[in-house]
Amino acid sequence: MKPPLFLYLRPDSLEEALAAMHEHGDEARPLAGGQSLVPMLNFRLARPEVLVDLSRVEELVGTSCPGPSAISFGAMTPQRAAERLEKVRSTCPLVSMMLPFVGHVQNRARGTIGGSIAHADPAAELPALCLALGGTVVARNAEGERRLRADGFFGGPFTTALMPDELLTSVELPGVRREDVAFAEIARRQGDFAMAGVVAVRETAQTAVRLVAFGVGGTPVRLPRAEKILEGQELTPACIAEAASAAAGEVDPIEDLHADGRTRRALVDALVRRVLGELGSEGAR
Amino acid sequence: MPDWGDLVPRLFGARVERREDAALLTGQGRYVADIRLPGMLEATFVRSHVAHAELRRVDFSSALKAPGVVAAFAAADLTGVREFPDYISWQREVRQFPLQRDRVRYVGAPVAVVVASNRYEAEDAAELVEVDYAELPAVLSIEEALAPGAPRLFEEWPDNKVMDLPEHDPEVDRILASSPTVSGRYRMQRQAPCPMETRGVVAELVHGRLTVWSSQQSPHILRTTLATVLGIPESTIRVVTPDIGGGFGGKTHQYPEEVVVAWLAMRLRRPVRWIEDRAEHLVSAVQARDEMIVLEGSYAPDGSITALRAEVICDVGSGEIAMPGTCTSLVSAACLTAAWKIPHYATSVTCVVTNKTPSGAYRGFGAPEAVLAIERFISRVALTAGVDPIEARRKMILDPEDLPYMQPSGNRIDSGSHRAAFERAIELGQAALARRRQETAGDRVRLGLGYCQYVEPTVPSYFGTTGYWTAYDSSSISIHPDGGVRVSCGVAAIGQGTETTIAAVTADALQVPIEEVTVVVGDTDSCAYGLGSWGSRSAVVFTGSILRAAEIVRQKASKIAASLLEAAEPDVVMEEGRFHVRGSSTPAVGWADVATAACVRTIDLPDGVEPGLDASATYEPPNLDHRPDAEGRMNGAATWANGSHSGVVAVDLDTGGVRILDYIVVHDCGRVINPTIVEGQVHGAVAQGIAGALYEQIVHDSGGQPQTASFMDYLLPSATEVPRLVVEHFESPAPETPLGIKGVGEAGTIGPGAVIANAVSDALSELGVDITETPITNRSLLRAIAAAGASRRGASPEEPSGGDAAA
Repeated sequence: MKPPLFLYLRPDSLEEALAAMHEHGDEARPLAGGQSLVPMLNFRLARPEVLVDLSRVEELVGTSCPGPSAISFGAMTPQRAAERLEKVRSTCPLVSMMLPFVGHVQNRARGTIGGSIAHADPAAELPALCLALGGTVVARNAEGERRLRADGFFGGPFTTALMPDELLTSVELPGVRREDVAFAEIARRQGDFAMAGVVAVRETAQTAVRLVAFGVGGTPVRLPRAEKILEGQELTPACIAEAASAAAGEVDPIEDLHADGRTRRALVDALVRRVLGELGSEGAR
Repeated sequence: MPDWGDLVPRLFGARVERREDAALLTGQGRYVADIRLPGMLEATFVRSHVAHAELRRVDFSSALKAPGVVAAFAAADLTGVREFPDYISWQREVRQFPLQRDRVRYVGAPVAVVVASNRYEAEDAAELVEVDYAELPAVLSIEEALAPGAPRLFEEWPDNKVMDLPEHDPEVDRILASSPTVSGRYRMQRQAPCPMETRGVVAELVHGRLTVWSSQQSPHILRTTLATVLGIPESTIRVVTPDIGGGFGGKTHQYPEEVVVAWLAMRLRRPVRWIEDRAEHLVSAVQARDEMIVLEGSYAPDGSITALRAEVICDVGSGEIAMPGTCTSLVSAACLTAAWKIPHYATSVTCVVTNKTPSGAYRGFGAPEAVLAIERFISRVALTAGVDPIEARRKMILDPEDLPYMQPSGNRIDSGSHRAAFERAIELGQAALARRRQETAGDRVRLGLGYCQYVEPTVPSYFGTTGYWTAYDSSSISIHPDGGVRVSCGVAAIGQGTETTIAAVTADALQVPIEEVTVVVGDTDSCAYGLGSWGSRSAVVFTGSILRAAEIVRQKASKIAASLLEAAEPDVVMEEGRFHVRGSSTPAVGWADVATAACVRTIDLPDGVEPGLDASATYEPPNLDHRPDAEGRMNGAATWANGSHSGVVAVDLDTGGVRILDYIVVHDCGRVINPTIVEGQVHGAVAQGIAGALYEQIVHDSGGQPQTASFMDYLLPSATEVPRLVVEHFESPAPETPLGIKGVGEAGTIGPGAVIANAVSDALSELGVDITETPITNRSLLRAIAAAGASRRGASPEEPSGGDAAA
């Protein structure tokens, strides 16, 4: 469990980092907390020639509010720091609700917001969060900046729309009130990647609910059939049950060591009922 | 029962703080990986990446050219090295050489070793070693191993059975044939002991003497084995076990890496270090459980079992490990009837070899498997008989007047609080369940109560496990001129508070402050021969030998003190570490005065008393059989602990999730030396038992590739998975051990599998779910719920086992 030889670069600025990515392109992997990449290096599952450690790039750390109801995280913001910010809790409570389920406190102390999204583990919380809120990923390379919508950003397991020389620099999330969001996941143990998780975000103006499931396929997925059932409807038990059953039917779950497809469908069914039940009771208040 | 006599113990029974902890918790411990020697090289092993293959060729030509590489060796290069000894006559001989010679039988088997200036370079070079494997079909389960025409692991054997002990009891046959019977098949999954510290070995040769530091539970047994396998005199070997970060049985074995690293130090004339990483640990350190128990029993109308036939079938992996993994299945057979009065019992025991990592010792050592099986079986019998499962148990449990109780297997339950502990656990469990019922649980959640009862063989014979070593241990005490005490023992300190307990017992035996006692363990140059720490034995054997050695030292000290006090020896007494004439506390002399006379100012010694103030003694546990009698019966342990656990679980019908809401342990390990340490042992062991019930499982794919290569997938429980435990002590003194103490290290692992399986079955009793396997996971429980539902609806049911062995 020792990594093979690699070139280690630790730029002090974003400009330097982008230059390093430009120079090494396909051969380089950014190191943004290392909670997934370092084990992959040690298992020799990842063998980058160059590691670009972003831990000294101050420009990438921090949380700001670009508008009255939005929040932006610098890619290198530690997950634990974001979790503890009152500003985050008040602006975008879903972030504060989901972050505690990302690994353990120790992982979140080093793990970063951008690192997790760029890593795109299909069972990770942050990509699902980003998709459910309809967030925007900001990417840069030496030539300039791109803004990418979360819908379409995740292409497959550990695969995103980022180009080899691009760095994810920040992620912007719209603020959604506490009563309009719900989240639940089931993992074998607290802190494990979920066997299945579901996020629900009510889009009040349209009386619609965005539903995202994660841990069940190659990427976090929207649940359009279930969303369609909910469109314009009150969240009655019957409506919730119908949506849950549609959700369980429309996911195409993977099988792994911890759960087979049938289990994952059952979990999605239960989780959709749970999150919609929560949204329903919040809405009734 | 040897007791304190005139001495007044101050520490025995008290919550003495663990003296080990300050160093271990502040990074001041010294583990094998902390040892750095000048010029030290690092080794890494090339391990088989196929489950079963002929080993055709190992080619180092590229590896030897890699940067930093010093040497690389395969089996044929190990000049002077012999096969591991196999002393056991009641199983087929497994010939094992430290590196695989012509065949590999599991993924992880050591094939070659590469030595470099550091581990990084060693691993880079190990990737370049070319090994030519001619793959063979893999055998991966009990069923596959026993199938007619199955591929064989050992060509010289007719089948894959490494041990096969049939039963023949005509009386059991007769009763079963003439009574209503119930049968069941129970399975506990493969697990790994997983101590926090992995294995590790450092070796050096200085002035012709070999020193081997190893993370080991039995330093002397390793020394003896190294001498045999390396073919060198035992006096030229020193084995040191520094701080050890847990063993749990896995470090009682003598491993190929220990031999190879020692050989490298001799061959290369440089210190060599190998530290096992976790990925290696999960394929190359012993694994355990992986056992199936098939039961058939007849019963009386009151639900009690009148006769029982058991088949214990254990998958011991490739079997290539010194101190083979077969013995746990014998303990399963012995522990199956627990403290139940089952008048007729016969059991066969079969161990099969498969293309998986060798099995070995793991805390609980066969008992958790047995208790899962018998507990679920008793409930099935009770339900068949239409009797409340708790009432059925009450009919069968041992009462004080039954003791000592001779089990059908020959085990002699010497003492215990079997019924009382059971009733207390039931009482606490039922109260917890009632409390939980008050809380709103949700209409899709079901609560269940589980419980179990067990006996645990503590201070066992090692002959049944090794075919060579038996059961005794040694201690030596010496008093220094300043009155300070040094005590050394043959047991090992593996994190279980041994040093604190040794110090406390010694301090009480000599009536000195505990701070004045220095404890030395884990160094074969400093400690007399002993067998190490395993089998819940250490406290009994070191206490026995310390008390004997202290007695000799006290007697000699009394003689010297009498002379210093110018009194007659019979008039001299010792109180609180001071010697004086009976009835008058002055004048008095202390240990420093006596030891100064004995060791320094020998001119003060009385005539006929030799210099020095030290003694060594051994302790051989009484009433212990090392071999079965003509009827195959033996009492395998010096004293039998007992306990009863109960617990409340919440089961989510929609997700198959199980939450443990309450867990209760009523435990009896005889007289308790240190309640804090006993509770710590129980807590840790229960956590490992819960791990087996719900989380941990070593999984292989159909080709024999391990799927649980890291702690991402091999799920150890963390603090969030272990509920707050309620632990109560009952104290039934052992009649024949020193101070009435019994072992405690393993007991906590025995209960949770059975308790949680019983509790989940209870929670889902309306559906007819009958858990017969562990681990119980979301997947397995959703399957069982679906199967039970289908079976109710009359559809063809799947096996509603509840276990997740199919993963």
